[in-house]
Amino acid sequence: MPSSLVNYDAAASKPLLDEVQKRSGQNLQACYQCRRCAAGCPVGEETGVTPDRLIRMIVLGDREEALNNLLVWKCVACYTCGTRCPNNIQTARITETLKQMAKKAHAKPLTPRIADFHSAFMTSTRHLGRFNEIEALTIYETKTAFKELSQGKVKAVIDEMIGQARLALDMMKKKRLHLGVDRVKARSEVKALYEKAKGR
Amino acid sequence: MTQLAYYPGCSLHSSSELYDVQCKMVFQNLGIELREIDDWNCCGATAAAKTDDFLAVALPARNLGLAAATGLSEIVIPCSSCYSRTLVSQKALAADPALKDSINAELARKITGDIKVSSILEVLVPKARSGELAAKAVKKLEGLKPACYYGCLLTRFPIDVDVPDDVENPQGMETVLKSLGAAPVDWGYKTDCCGASASVNDADQSQLLMSRIFTDAVARGANCIVTTCPLCQFNVDAYQAEVGKKFGIEKQLPVYFITELIGISMGLDPVAMQVDRHFIDAMGLVKELNLI
Repeated sequence: MPSSLVNYDAAASKPLLDEVQKRSGQNLQACYQCRRCAAGCPVGEETGVTPDRLIRMIVLGDREEALNNLLVWKCVACYTCGTRCPNNIQTARITETLKQMAKKAHAKPLTPRIADFHSAFMTSTRHLGRFNEIEALTIYETKTAFKELSQGKVKAVIDEMIGQARLALDMMKKKRLHLGVDRVKARSEVKALYEKAKGR
Repeated sequence: MTQLAYYPGCSLHSSSELYDVQCKMVFQNLGIELREIDDWNCCGATAAAKTDDFLAVALPARNLGLAAATGLSEIVIPCSSCYSRTLVSQKALAADPALKDSINAELARKITGDIKVSSILEVLVPKARSGELAAKAVKKLEGLKPACYYGCLLTRFPIDVDVPDDVENPQGMETVLKSLGAAPVDWGYKTDCCGASASVNDADQSQLLMSRIFTDAVARGANCIVTTCPLCQFNVDAYQAEVGKKFGIEKQLPVYFITELIGISMGLDPVAMQVDRHFIDAMGLVKELNLI
């Protein structure tokens, strides 16, 4: 059900608000909807949801909408909203929190490419201790291609491959493609941190 | 020679190796030796922040432990994303001793927490103000009209940080380049987002963001863009031709790292600095202006 004051139920909305506030460390109740964040949001026009709207959804307890809107996924974490907020609410921390909550709840991300990219980044970084452009991009592109092919998006997959091949070629010409593999010697230490993260 | 601890980060060891080379050359010329911290790991960048609150703090924390082991009092981090994540981690650890203990338990080199984490501009701006940069210059950067591009992470943080510059209209790069004779343009998109990794996973969005940056830089009469962030540099350099075509922006601007322009003013060899490794030719303009 879309969030609205008409069906607002203070007790029912509290669990979501409490969870987001605790995880993000942001005081969402301080928002008085001045919309300075909305004015500065570089993706607001495309997402249709601006930071003020997102805060409202959470305050009204609309879990479904809060976890499934484009701002959560397309937020570029530029931190403009938080810098301009008169009440010091960092909405980018809230979108980060909601992404993590969506993942925990096994909710399907609205934009799989974005979620898969960040996941590929973390996989590669866990493996070598450092971000390897070729490894991470291979993981990401393979996953994306399989997913999109199974949905019949053949043209999207071909376009993506042509685009990436062109970029790789261009990078090679400009000596910007790094073929060596950098790795951390004490990788067990990095892996221990990843393990600890899983247990939290 | 002064020593500073140095964290290059993954970009400077791969697609932006040129920035690593230039940083070392320019700092050397300023009498500063950059001591790369031993066996550093990826800071987690935006991906960790978006996927795991613990790793977002813990990954840079390991590097802070390695930095502490150098015994030096300051670490310089040229990449804006690495700089931001490391600074945020340091603040988060200071505010949460239990978290710090829990991370320290996994580390051979423990976090002590008092090293100063600096962006490249925090080191360079005082040297511009004191006249030290100008004293090292053998050439004035005359004719250069850069649009100084800061992007997001040099002035905006997800937590309270004392930003050593104006948040909305920073002047650090302008201060450096003016001291070397360049004439930076006044423009409106210096702290706007280029999309960073969105250029891979949300291309339409990042191209729209970049088109606004290019349109304004060209309209203000800039003849180049200058940045300190390798992620911004890669985006606005590698994708500029494609974005220009899509949005009808005819003029293309070379995108310099600030170290390239400082190095050129110092008379350092542009090829040794790898200025020829840009997507949009960056040698032509400096040749045309007789700077090399």
